[in-house]
Amino acid sequence: MAAEFTDDIYFATIGELNAHLKSKDFSAIELVRAFAQRLEQLGPRYNALALPLTAVAIRHAMEVDKDLKHERSRGPLQGIPFGAKDLLSYAGHPTTWGARPYAAQVFDSNATVIDKLEKTGAVLVGKLAMVELAGGGGYRSAAASLFGPGLNPWDRTRWSGGSSSGSGSAVAAGLVPFAIGSETSGSILTPAAFCGITGLRPTYGLVSRHGAMALSWTMDKLGPMCRSAEDCGLVLATIAGADANDPGSAHKTFYYTPQYYRTSKDLRIGYAPVDFAEWAEPATRPAFQQALAAIRETGAKLIETRLPDLPYGALASTIILAEAASVFEPLISSGKVDELADPKQIAGLKTALEISAKDYLRAMRIRAIVQQKVRRLFGDVDVLLSPSRFGPAPKISEPLDKHTNDAKPKDLGLSALIPAGNLAGLPALSLPCGFADGLPVAIQIAGPPFSENQLLVLGRDFQTHTDWHRKRPKIA
Amino acid sequence: MAAVLGSVAGVATVRAQEPPPNQPENLNTEAMEQLRKNSKALSKLELPMSAEPAFQFKA
Repeated sequence: MAAEFTDDIYFATIGELNAHLKSKDFSAIELVRAFAQRLEQLGPRYNALALPLTAVAIRHAMEVDKDLKHERSRGPLQGIPFGAKDLLSYAGHPTTWGARPYAAQVFDSNATVIDKLEKTGAVLVGKLAMVELAGGGGYRSAAASLFGPGLNPWDRTRWSGGSSSGSGSAVAAGLVPFAIGSETSGSILTPAAFCGITGLRPTYGLVSRHGAMALSWTMDKLGPMCRSAEDCGLVLATIAGADANDPGSAHKTFYYTPQYYRTSKDLRIGYAPVDFAEWAEPATRPAFQQALAAIRETGAKLIETRLPDLPYGALASTIILAEAASVFEPLISSGKVDELADPKQIAGLKTALEISAKDYLRAMRIRAIVQQKVRRLFGDVDVLLSPSRFGPAPKISEPLDKHTNDAKPKDLGLSALIPAGNLAGLPALSLPCGFADGLPVAIQIAGPPFSENQLLVLGRDFQTHTDWHRKRPKIA
Repeated sequence: MAAVLGSVAGVATVRAQEPPPNQPENLNTEAMEQLRKNSKALSKLELPMSAEPAFQFKA
């Protein structure tokens, strides 16, 4: 008799699915087919699907079932379906980078992360939509994508976030148990926060970017987007590690070993009250206050802190734009850049060619100071805590930069933790922490380089004290 | 009357030359302005001569 799949399976964690496979409640083929068909059927509803891979996935699942039959264990991801942001190459299949000029692009090899996942028996069921070129030129519209605006499973009039929009909405809608996203400055944390899932931005260099679209060589990272901190740990343990094909590789391994790290009650957490009281939009403040209370319940010690006063936004913008303009110079020079969907992105990339060596080098020199000062900050605290985003997902009909000129609190607090954390290559974990106007909101915790295990311990503890990561949107 | 019409037409001509916000001309100007703002923000910081660019991309 064929297995029946309910929402309890579609919204199960990796550990739960693995237990079902082990106890033979269903086969890998059944599981993969169910998720692949669901992704094909519902993915377009959220503009989340770039490319279905159902037939290939079922073939791979057959191999997994053979392994399981012979008790060849390949780890906790064996037989688990997943999706990958469409900036990762998958041999013989289109990799569009979410952009019309690259709609027909096909590579002949896989991205390292996909190879690593497939070796452990995880099964790729589809490529997921993204903001065109990961939004490197700056964009104003949620529709800045070959696939249309990423729609939020909690409310389809809202954005799923960017640039890993399809990864965020596919996990949130139970279309895949986990997905791979990428972040240059906010592209994992933002969709994770807006969609109510758990996202991990690893330390720069911990996960190979070989086979991924380059946007900014010195800031790009790949990471997991999952249902829980625990799942992020399992996926990171599979995709992390040295890769001679990635010049930015830190040549480090990662073992998910939370048992060897300090528990939350031994942690000093740096936070800025102004982030929660003033930077956060009024509707989100009750949820953030509850999140602070839940963090306190873990026994962690909260210590007031703030980021050194440096121009993080201007720094990140200068570095990303200068590097993106160099990466995409052939696209810009050929005029094909005009085929992009978002006029602001077109203008941003064209003008970025004008950034002077003086400004780029100055930004990189200040970046060294950012790194030095951030290192010092971690002398007083173990991790930093701030809202992932200060408001819930914006409406897709509104310009994304609508609030750019609004009056801001004078105290910077940790409000620039996303650009600062990315400039300093820090790992960060986004954890759902409640709702505002029916939409998810989230906190982020960031730590020193290679502190992923410590962040995951705190994330797991937080998710033991709360159940926000277990909430499911209504999927019609 | 002719003078009034002339001035109205003049205003209309000036308005026609100003592209609406999402027009490429405006967006290019806006993007250049952003680069100038970034440059200005970066130049405010006094850098010691010994400050080298970041060669490692993590803290």
